[in-house]
Amino acid sequence: MTPETITLQFRKIPFFRFLDLKVTEFDDTHAIATMPFADRLIGNPIMEHYHGGIIASLMEAVAAITAKSGRDGQPPKPINLTIDYLRPAVKGPLIVRATVTRKGKRMASVRTVSWQDDDSRPVAEGLHHFLVV
Amino acid sequence: MTLPDPKKLDQIARMWNHRGHGLITEMNLKIEKVATDGVLVRMPFNPSFCADEDESLLHGGVLTALLDSVFGLANLVAIDRISSMATLDLRVDYLRPARSRADVMVRAECYRQTRHIAFNSGTVWFDEPNRAEVARGTASFALMRGERSLLDAMTRSRTSK
Repeated sequence: MTPETITLQFRKIPFFRFLDLKVTEFDDTHAIATMPFADRLIGNPIMEHYHGGIIASLMEAVAAITAKSGRDGQPPKPINLTIDYLRPAVKGPLIVRATVTRKGKRMASVRTVSWQDDDSRPVAEGLHHFLVV
Repeated sequence: MTLPDPKKLDQIARMWNHRGHGLITEMNLKIEKVATDGVLVRMPFNPSFCADEDESLLHGGVLTALLDSVFGLANLVAIDRISSMATLDLRVDYLRPARSRADVMVRAECYRQTRHIAFNSGTVWFDEPNRAEVARGTASFALMRGERSLLDAMTRSRTSK
């Protein structure tokens, strides 16, 4: 699968259309996606920062791509997530990279990081567990 | 149970119901109960938050965003003179698939506040007879205290538009 085919598949999912995310890189161990800024994603209306929950949603969506169990293509079931918020996300695109830490027969553990202009200044980091059976 | 100052409560409700744009408006959240020991909020079903083409399974990220929002509300209600607030960390357990078109209910509380930090916990279920718990979350927030309250700023920015 290419990033383009995944993005097209994602267009069928209502919530991914809401986020308007686009997958730019994808292989067995990692995925990268970007999301443009939009009014509906704002959490703090005065400062126009992204909503923290939306950042978490994007991170979970990208993590799920990498956790996906190859053959039947069933979406993995999210078990839990932990997000560490490091700085506010301001008006502008948001990028997320997900990296598989371990993928077993039943469980997948995925780490995510999100940033805006500079990947050495992360907005948030995440840890995600999925059931992949 | 301690009820917050009615004036403050009214201000919070107005801000939430008329903030004009952003995710909380998009979620169409309704405040059902507010007290300093916890808040109850309803989110009507919204097909654009679904993770499937049938539009009957809510994406986990929506529940996470919902918990984050309602934690913020619980803090506004429970804590005086917050000038600003930022989520430090957020942890959510998905207890069962969120498969329903019923309204989503969230109860959240600030169970401990210090000068700089608020600690929150919350639970999510569908407004259905079995009330099965769908997700549970905890979070901590960094608080900035000051004379200029977040509530005043938000109410003002709305009326000045």
